Amino acid sequence: MNWMAKARPAAPSSAAGVAPSKPGPNAAAAPASSNVRVSNALKEFLWLISDVPQGRILDLGPVWQSTVSFFVDKGYRVSTEDLLRTWKEFLTAEEEGFRKAPVGAPAEKISPAALADKFLESALRYQERSFHGVLAWDLLDYFDPEVTPRLMERLAQLIHPGGAMLAMFHSRAAERFHRYRVVDGQTIELIPASTLAVHAHVFQNREILGLFAEFRSSKTFVGRDQVREGLFLK
Amino acid sequence: MWRKPAEGKPSSESYNQPVSSAAPVENSHAPQPSPAPAPPAPSRSVADSAPVALGGNASKITSGLKINGEISGSADLYIDGEVQGKLRLGNARVTVGPNGRVQADIEAREIVVEGNVDGNLKAGERAHFGSSSRVNGSVMTPRIGIDDGARLRGKVETVQAAPARPTSSGIKQEATETLQPVEASAKGE
Repeated sequence: MNWMAKARPAAPSSAAGVAPSKPGPNAAAAPASSNVRVSNALKEFLWLISDVPQGRILDLGPVWQSTVSFFVDKGYRVSTEDLLRTWKEFLTAEEEGFRKAPVGAPAEKISPAALADKFLESALRYQERSFHGVLAWDLLDYFDPEVTPRLMERLAQLIHPGGAMLAMFHSRAAERFHRYRVVDGQTIELIPASTLAVHAHVFQNREILGLFAEFRSSKTFVGRDQVREGLFLK
Repeated sequence: MWRKPAEGKPSSESYNQPVSSAAPVENSHAPQPSPAPAPPAPSRSVADSAPVALGGNASKITSGLKINGEISGSADLYIDGEVQGKLRLGNARVTVGPNGRVQADIEAREIVVEGNVDGNLKAGERAHFGSSSRVNGSVMTPRIGIDDGARLRGKVETVQAAPARPTSSGIKQEATETLQPVEASAKGE
């Protein structure tokens, strides 16, 4: 299947961005008190994977009923792995192990790069080309610089050729940590969450392109809140 | 050459419903003084956030107990202790309580998790993950309910229910579900 040759979906009725008060007609079912975001990237993401019946989706955020049901209702299989939380728990465990090391034992100093490699030995353990779509949300902004390129390398391996990855990038340090879940075909909901990690890096466009060097095409949507939604095709 | 993308079917009611983390999950798991018949399960929605009350006749593995081996049978089981091995209760409900720690594949009619499970889950009717649940493994079920706060590391795959067929009396009944073999664990894939 040549997804590059597919016609684009109809242009959304409104620009991408956070719409806390008027989420639009398609987001009418979203909780009124929460922030919803009209997502062009999500709409295109869904359109791109629509040719793959029973495709596999990897959600790198926490598991949500709405997201799982949304994709499952459409016949997809959904895998979830809360990667940022897993990373933080990994760091905590490593630190704990270091603290509990017997006094006098040779302290093994692990470099950040080695730590990232060790983390990826236990995370994202899937076969190559397992997924037709990956939802990375804004997680790449929060990983340590040593982790991000390795993580991208792994994700690129996991995505089936022709598969798509959705990622979001803040144009300035995020003021608040959010989680994301799918509300409908072009709306995502921002769930304020306790800060799991500090915003680590504001990616410039060229850095983003570098991260996704193994992908053959990309498209970026900039919302009114200056959050860049990226859709990357492998 | 240009074609309009095929829009997905209209969003179901289920996924747009905010899932309340305040659902009385734990209370509903508590043993009841008298056996409470489970209400008939809805048949159309993938989402199912309201756990069914556990009958008082369920066998219990209480906190402090540890079992290593295979458990099979047809009685409901409530686990608040530790279980390692395999659980095969095809026609029963397995509930992993808040203190429960299970390192086993679970096969049951209904699987409700409030504690920790490390293994693949195969539910004949439904699976429900409470807000304090921690599940590491793949899930295969016709219907799934996930409370906010639940943590799942693995794959969710639904087995589509066969279309309901009318009986001779005109009343629809649900066709018997046939589960496919569980795929490899998400961790090991």
